[in-house]
Amino acid sequence: MKENSLWKDAFRRLTMDKWALGSLIIVLIYSSVALLAAMGIIAGDWAKEVGASNMAPNGDHWLGTDIFGRDVLSKVLRGTQIAMSVGLVTSLIAIPIGVVLGALAGYFGGWVDDLITWLYTTFSSIPNIMLLISITMILGKGIFAVYIALGATSWVTLCRLIRGEVMKHKEREYVQAAGAIGGGHFRKLFLHILPNVTHIVIINTSLQFQFAIKSEVILSYLGLGVQGEPSWGTMIDDAKLELSRGVWWQLAGATTAMFLVVLAFNLLGDALRDSLDPKLKGK
Amino acid sequence: MTSPLLSVRNLVVEFQTGEGITRAVNNVSFDIPAGKTIGIVGESGSGKSVTSLAVMGLLQKPAAKIPQGEIIFNGQDLLKFNDSQMRAIRGNQISMIFQEPMTSLNPVFKVGDQIAETIRIHRNISNKEAWDRAVDLMNQVGIPNPALSAHKYPHEMSGGQKQRVMIAMAIACEPKLLIADEPTTALDVTIQKQVLELLHKLQQQYKMSMMFITHDLGVIGDIADDVVVMYRSNVVEQNKAQEIFYTAKHPYTKGLLACRPKLGANPRRLLTVSDFMDDQGVEKHVSPERVVVFDKEQEKEKSSEILLEVKNLVTQFPIKGGFFGRTVDHFKAVNDVSFTLKKGKTLGLVGESGCGKTTLGRSILRLVEPSSGSIIYNGKDITHVYAEELRLLRRKMQIIFQDPYSSLNPRMTISEILTEPLNIHNVGNSKQERLDMAKQLFEKVGLKLSHLNRYPHEFSGGQRQRICIARALMLRPEFVICDESVSALDVSIQAQVLNLLLDLQEEFHLTYIFISHDLSVVNFIADEVGVMNGGKIIEMDKASSIYKNPKEAYTRALLSAIPKGEVKSDLSSMV
Repeated sequence: MKENSLWKDAFRRLTMDKWALGSLIIVLIYSSVALLAAMGIIAGDWAKEVGASNMAPNGDHWLGTDIFGRDVLSKVLRGTQIAMSVGLVTSLIAIPIGVVLGALAGYFGGWVDDLITWLYTTFSSIPNIMLLISITMILGKGIFAVYIALGATSWVTLCRLIRGEVMKHKEREYVQAAGAIGGGHFRKLFLHILPNVTHIVIINTSLQFQFAIKSEVILSYLGLGVQGEPSWGTMIDDAKLELSRGVWWQLAGATTAMFLVVLAFNLLGDALRDSLDPKLKGK
Repeated sequence: MTSPLLSVRNLVVEFQTGEGITRAVNNVSFDIPAGKTIGIVGESGSGKSVTSLAVMGLLQKPAAKIPQGEIIFNGQDLLKFNDSQMRAIRGNQISMIFQEPMTSLNPVFKVGDQIAETIRIHRNISNKEAWDRAVDLMNQVGIPNPALSAHKYPHEMSGGQKQRVMIAMAIACEPKLLIADEPTTALDVTIQKQVLELLHKLQQQYKMSMMFITHDLGVIGDIADDVVVMYRSNVVEQNKAQEIFYTAKHPYTKGLLACRPKLGANPRRLLTVSDFMDDQGVEKHVSPERVVVFDKEQEKEKSSEILLEVKNLVTQFPIKGGFFGRTVDHFKAVNDVSFTLKKGKTLGLVGESGCGKTTLGRSILRLVEPSSGSIIYNGKDITHVYAEELRLLRRKMQIIFQDPYSSLNPRMTISEILTEPLNIHNVGNSKQERLDMAKQLFEKVGLKLSHLNRYPHEFSGGQRQRICIARALMLRPEFVICDESVSALDVSIQAQVLNLLLDLQEEFHLTYIFISHDLSVVNFIADEVGVMNGGKIIEMDKASSIYKNPKEAYTRALLSAIPKGEVKSDLSSMV
């Protein structure tokens, strides 16, 4: 019998699924592109005029140029950085809020649960995109507003899932056993229950990530997102007018980039659920 | 003699796992004659359930392979049947009862519909006829008020009733062969007895053959004609039931017979399979002092000091009702219980599920808050201590839970689990010192040091219960509550754990409260026994006296329900 942790086990199962492995590789490529773009190593000169206006794709410019003669591929790569940063920052805001509130609500129950449940049902009853629009209106346009708006709305699902899972686990005997050896609430909740629900966080983050990316594109398309930087959303917006003149490459570049990463995150989310969720284990 | 109804010949079943091929059933052969019952006995993992699934054609393919063997049913080899041919046989000519009645019924359908469905699949009859037949079957399996009960949903029935419904479904099409896979393991002893009697009656009535699978040789003495003993994927012994019970030949069978505590006299430590054979399966000579009957009465008083006194303890739970979920009434799970427990002694609490014995245990440890009454521990009233004082108290009082699968955190290694109590209470100066203490106990409970960094799922049930015991003892408590701590284990493992508990009691001068539904186990381990029913202790006496002259009718019923571990007299006289 080998010494196998549950995580190692899950990772082994994940890598055995070729769709999951492919998705993981795509996500890693996008992340590296985003990181390199953020450091200015690639696509740093996206704003430079490199050729004639609206050049079709060719050997020098694989995705052609836009109306100002800027390289579309560089814009797509720069847009990747924006999209991935939105996904990342949103997760960094949503995970702590969702996990802490969900855990507290599930563990303590009573009025704590009532309060937190009230909070998230209120948030989830407002149509998502309307809330996003109103937050960007208040905070002003720009990438920072997009971070806050998405972070503030996307903790709700995670909170609900964690709450249910914690409620289930707190009745388990291993938690009672922790109480019987003298462990307090903090120990029971954060050292015993939370490690047993982290798979929910991981699965949810994977799905949340692509939702954040899509939302950023929509907000930018509506002109509420990033300003003065290329985004897949603004590129699709630009393409509205260009398409009639037969300029299709800007639209194709932005949508393909978005399509691939959203698909990859979705597949990865499903695969993570299959490999991490103990309920489906041994299937 | 006519040919047998079912004949399994040289059956081999293999499973493809991540680590290679495991052979779960190795060259197994046995016959089930028409109208007879055979018992297949063995511990978890011995291949007995896999054999039954192979007969039903329910093995998960492609993970499971049958490279060799024949399963001849009614003259035809079932292994050559395709899926649709098997479906026609399953539930119709061969049917099966599973271990867990709680999860084997679909919770969203009425039980009557579920029985009727089985009939409609195999018989071309109208819904009305099927329903009437279902009601008739429910009557036959002894469910009170069948016409009304057929409209009930599974959650409205007790465990025993659900198992009766499962039996009704299994016999709905009057099968020629009934496979019962541990049908009574999840049930209380009194219900177990009723279900066994029912199965025996139905088997006679319908002239069925029955294949009864169990880990407890004691259970099948009453109903089996022949017994097949399986050990590590092989059949080690098969014979007529009375031969097995009175002149067992294989050391494993002898071990299985000896490890179940008897109601009367027992040796000081229970005999286990390892007394009869070594790891390689070579027979050993049982040392004579191991079988000397031990008389608790003769033992001198360990102490007369009172450790725990419980006075008029009541624990009640609110019953919510009405539109706004108001508390309309209270359910008294523990109702006015009083007793005293001396240092170094063991108090056994017996009763059926729902009698309040578990709540009583948890109330004493203050894991559940008692509503009134008092708990005096070592001369101090602990009913109303809180926070730091309660935390310190936890060092002295520990609990070992029933289910070794859910009481260990799956995300922690064993060394983390064992050192955690020390961390909480700041025992030991360094990480290394704590680890050393954990190692010491880990060896003491009989586990290998090299396994200390493994996770709980890599251990068997018996090993996990040993880990739970080690964890409970890490803080060197004086007082331990064992809540059904051996109920989830096979009898052969149960004996080992009971022996371990007694060894540890002697070494660490522990005081136990031992909670169980099995009177023979309690009688073996406890000095005094309290019988609980409806939240009250209805009878309390020395263990030997309870067994010899029970005063209450309820106690007598509990006693008579225990499998005797011998062949029924009327069966043996038939031969």
